[in-house]
Formats: sequence, C-alpha cells, structure tokens
Amino acid sequence: MNTYFHPFVIPFSLGVLFLFATLIFKYVRWYLGLTSDEKLLIRKSLFTVKSLKAVKECFTECLLHLKIYKVNLRLGYMHMSLAFGWFLLILVGQLETATYLANDFVPLYVHVFFRYFFPIAPEGVVHNIDYAPLMDALLLIILISVGLAMTKRLKSKLLGMKKTTRHTLGDRLALSSLWLIFPARLLAESATCGAHGGGSFLTSSVGDLMANICPVDMIELPLWWLYSIVLGIFMVSLPFSRYLHIFAEIPHIFLKNYGVRAKNEKSTVDDFQIAACSRCGICIDPCQMQSSAGVNNMQSVYFLRDCRQGTLEYKTADNCLMCGRCEQRCPVGIDLNTIRLNRRQGTLLRLGTNPYSYANQLDTSSGSGKVGYFAGCMTSLSPRILHSMDRIFESARENVWNADRDGGICCGRPLMLAGDIDGARKMMQMNTELFRKHQIETLVTSCPICLKVFKEEYNLQGIRVLHHSEYILELISQGRLSVKNNGNLVTYHDPCELGRGSGIYAAPREVIEAVASLREADEHSEHSLCCGSSLANTVIGTPQAYKIASDAAACFESTGAQTLITSCPLCKKAFAKVSQIPVKDLSELVCESLICK
Amino acid sequence: MKWGYNIVTKRSIDLDANDMTIALKLQEAEESLISCIACGCCTATCTAGNLTDFNFRQLHTLVRRGEYDKAREEAEKCMLCGKCFIICPRGINTRNVILTLRRIL
Repeated sequence: MNTYFHPFVIPFSLGVLFLFATLIFKYVRWYLGLTSDEKLLIRKSLFTVKSLKAVKECFTECLLHLKIYKVNLRLGYMHMSLAFGWFLLILVGQLETATYLANDFVPLYVHVFFRYFFPIAPEGVVHNIDYAPLMDALLLIILISVGLAMTKRLKSKLLGMKKTTRHTLGDRLALSSLWLIFPARLLAESATCGAHGGGSFLTSSVGDLMANICPVDMIELPLWWLYSIVLGIFMVSLPFSRYLHIFAEIPHIFLKNYGVRAKNEKSTVDDFQIAACSRCGICIDPCQMQSSAGVNNMQSVYFLRDCRQGTLEYKTADNCLMCGRCEQRCPVGIDLNTIRLNRRQGTLLRLGTNPYSYANQLDTSSGSGKVGYFAGCMTSLSPRILHSMDRIFESARENVWNADRDGGICCGRPLMLAGDIDGARKMMQMNTELFRKHQIETLVTSCPICLKVFKEEYNLQGIRVLHHSEYILELISQGRLSVKNNGNLVTYHDPCELGRGSGIYAAPREVIEAVASLREADEHSEHSLCCGSSLANTVIGTPQAYKIASDAAACFESTGAQTLITSCPLCKKAFAKVSQIPVKDLSELVCESLICK
Repeated sequence: MKWGYNIVTKRSIDLDANDMTIALKLQEAEESLISCIACGCCTATCTAGNLTDFNFRQLHTLVRRGEYDKAREEAEKCMLCGKCFIICPRGINTRNVILTLRRIL
C-alpha cells in the first residue's frame, strides 16, 4: 500500500480535526441542555417517518436552498450552486478516489488533494467514467457562484436584495478564506496539470496557459500549500463565524421535524437555532423598522448574532414589532419571534409580591349566554367596534355574556411581550377563572392580540375561541345574519397577530366578499405590512410608529379602494391617524350592511 | 356624622432633600416625557386605573418629585395594555416609561 503524504496537507488536516472537535463539543453540550421531555421526544421520533422528512428537508434546504429561490431566482442559484456544487465536488471526488484506489483505505486529505497525488491515472486503473471533466465542471460552477457572491457584496440589488448583512470580523475572515479556497484550488490543480499533464477542459487549459508564462513545476507546491492553508483557516474560523450554519442547520432541521421548538423560556434549542442562522440577511429587506423607521441594528440577523456573541442588549431585543415578516421569510425556519420573546425575560424587576391583587375576584361582566364576548382593552378605545358588535349580536339574536364591557383586566399578552411572563400568567389565571365561572362555550374577541394569547397560552379546553371575523362568517353562513352587498370597493389589512400570528386569512376575506368588493394591496396575506403600533415594540416613539403606519397606509391607498378595512382595534387606531382613506373595522363594515328583519 | 370636609394631613415635599437621580435617568431614557402636559388622558383610559387608584399621571408626578417608595408600589400595577400610549396627545411612549421604571426604581 502506498502512503500518500506531503507536509502541505497538515494545515487542512489540523483544521478539519479542530472543526469536528468543536462541533461535537457544541452539539453534545446543547443536547445535554435539553429537557428530559425533549430528549424523550427525540428518541421516540428517531426511527419514524419524521427522520426521513428531515433528511429530505436537509437535501432541499441545506443543499438546494429551494426556499431562497422563492425570494429571488439569482440569489437562490448563488446559494444552491455553492452549497450543492461543493457537496457534489466532495461526493464525485470520493467516487473518483474510490475508482483509483479500489479498496485501499486512505486519509481524508487524499480525496481533497487528489489531483496532486494523481495528476494522471496510474497504470492498471480501469474506469468507466472519466471524472476529470465532471470535476472541472463542478469547480467552474462553484467559481461562478463565488463570483456571484462577490457581486452581491458589491451590489446586492443585482441579486435581489436591497440590503445585505454587515459582517463581524470573524465573518470577514471566514468569508475571505472561503472566497480564496476555490481560486486557490483551480490554480493548484492547473499547475499540477501544467507540469504533469492530465486534467480536463478547465484545469488542463489553465495549466497550459500557466506553463507558458511561468515555471509551473516550481510554483506547483506553493500553490497546494496555499490551498491547504486557506482551507485550514476556513475550517478553524467556521465554528466562530456565520458558516457554522453549514453544520448547525442539519440538527436544527431534525429538531424542527421532531417538534422540538423554541419556547417562552430560554433553552438550548435556541442555541441550535441561533447557530443555524446563516446571516444571509433575507430578514433585513422585509423589516419595516429598517425600511420605514430607519433602525438598522435590531433586525433578526443582528439580534441572533448578538445572542450568539453574548452581547445582546435589552434595547435590541425590545426594539422589534414582532410582526413576523422576517420569520415568514426566513429560509432556515428559525423561531425568530419566540427566541426574541424569551430573550426579553429577566430584565424587569419584580417590585412587589402581588401587584395585581386589585383584580382578584374581579367580575364586572354583564349579560348571560353561552357566547362570551371579550372586547379587549384596545376595542374599548374604539366604541364603534363595540357598537357594531352589539348590533351584530342583536341581529343574530345571540345571548351574549360581556366579559369586560364595564372594565376588565388585560389578556396578559402585552406583559408577556414585555418579558414579564409571571405577571402575564396572573392575568391569564384571573381571566380563565372568570370564563369558567360563567360557563361559556364560545369566546369571541375583537382583538387579535387577545385571540393569540387565548389560543396559545390559556388553557381553555371546552371553549371555542373565535376572532370576531370567524364568528361573523359563521353567523352569515348559518343564515343567522342577513347582509346585503353594497358593492363598495374596499381593501383589507391583515393584522400581524391575526394573519401571520394566528393564521387567519380567509375568514375576514369571505366576510368582506359577502358585503363589499375586495381589492388586495400589493403586499397582502402572509406578506401584509405592520401598522407600526405593535404592542411588541416598547422602544420606538410616536414619530417612528407614525412613519411605519403612513408608509403602510400608502400601500393600501394605492389600490384605489374607498375604505381600508382591518380587523384589529389597534391597527385601526394606527391607520386612522395617517390614512388618506377612511379606516374601518370589519365589524363596522358588516354592521352597515345588515338587513334588519 | 358627615361634615362634607375633613382635615388634610400635612404633606409637604422637600425637593432639595429628595434624590433626583432616578427621575433624571427616566427622563434620559424617554425623552418625550418632558413634553407631558399632565392632561390626564392616560389616566382616563387606563385599564388598571378603572379598577384601582393606579394612574400614570400620578406615577409620573411621584417620580418627578423623587418620591420613589410610593412609585415602587404603583409602577407594577400597570398591565402594559398600551391604551395610554395610543391616546397620549403628546405621543409619549408611556410603556417605555413603565418598563424603564421597572428596571431602575
């Protein structure tokens, strides 16, 4: 057996050893940090179809990057050609080595520096496929994608991104070495081909060219050294840079498929997810804090970077609308809002023991019925919604129990969003007791903020929780509410907490279609814009919130609709201040179209 | 017997003796607070104020005067529902005021 060795392989080999030692250390530490329930869930799911799904997702997302194609074709191609191209280069390289060496076991570096050890096929090797052209083609594909990546750094718009990520020093080092790897490989392989023959259309012709202008046999070795050193630098810097995502995305995809997600409390699931962020910067463009309010340091990519470096300030965590536009776009599928929510905890002081004791046993409710109506704090600022809901209940002859008509307590979501989960739990407990006491079977709310927390955090088993849009649709389809279509042209704004937050897009649209004619804005449904007044952001002041609202309102005005319809009292308030066209809640629109029997 | 009036307890505040550090820190954290005209819209809309004597205007006054002990009791009663922020004619970020107080008080 031959021993294939040359000292230049040392930097690469050390780099690989360091890389995998660091990765294993990180993974084991994070895995041990999971709760026993989560570990059990992983063990149970390991030999199920979920694992196969995860493998498929690893292929389509880590290698092909299909989700990035949805953002922009060129951007998707850039990511795919680099990731999948490099993967194929390694795979085909392995096949080539296997053909040449039959069953001989050789160290990893032989595959990587194959062309140095075997410029031309050794005697007696029978191979059905000539790998050299294939390897050259793959190298060319990768070189083009590195070219695209460089173009993106210089002019990101050419690749469909208005803004791209600002890098840290570690990222720059890793990026520079990554960009050098493939040109170095081309030069090294070409020098060898120029000196000893072999190669294919790319390496052989570049080799011939090099042989004509310089002594290739003298520069061959230094070039292989260069290739090995840049590879080594990349491997060592990888765990400390954005490129950790190459390996961290794999366990993240498996955990996601097993149902192990980020929670309201910090956990090491977050670490897997944070490491899986590639800092691609796709979250930057949809962020209205950036495009409208001019804030450039709190976008998810920077938030996750600060989390990873341990330099997160509460102002960065708090300064977010949590509209979910970035989460919806994130090609990695990171639970961005949940991680941000759990990083907000622990910054507030608990000053008293039970500050909300004033609300104990509080019951200001009125009426009786199996249907409960929880207006929500914001709805009480908009009496027209209350009045419209009254009319709707009356027309449908529904007996309604009003939970908070004469003052109630908050649903708890604002406290939760501010990082005071304990305080929020007190609200939840008091409200739940109130709902149970009056034995309601359906809970209708006009506020999507309340709706989300009722659905996700409350334990309301046996009680149907409905947003008023769903409830009104139900009344119309059951024939309990007679409405006429006025034919007015309206446009609809999806409130963040209702749309992306609770996945309710169809119900309000069906209601609108029944009473008016709907014209969608450019960015609607899951791409809908935020009104800027989100309770999740406690940092920005009124001027910035107004700016976000007026930019979003302009998008709705451009549809030419007569009225802007929304189904959140807070969004209504926010738009009413800046919109050129009247703003109404869905319930008001329905109320105007009621046919009184 | 109801007389229609009672004796007011003496309640003078020595602004020179009170420590103003927290009040100044708060002002720094939420600059818009200086534009407060004490109109009381925040207090009128307050969800918590509807149920108890908590109110934002009073809290602000307490902090401005350096009476932190009472402010400490009050600050946490807020449920952060945000109605006062929406209603404030001066656009003061009241929620940031409460959160800042819950960090520095």
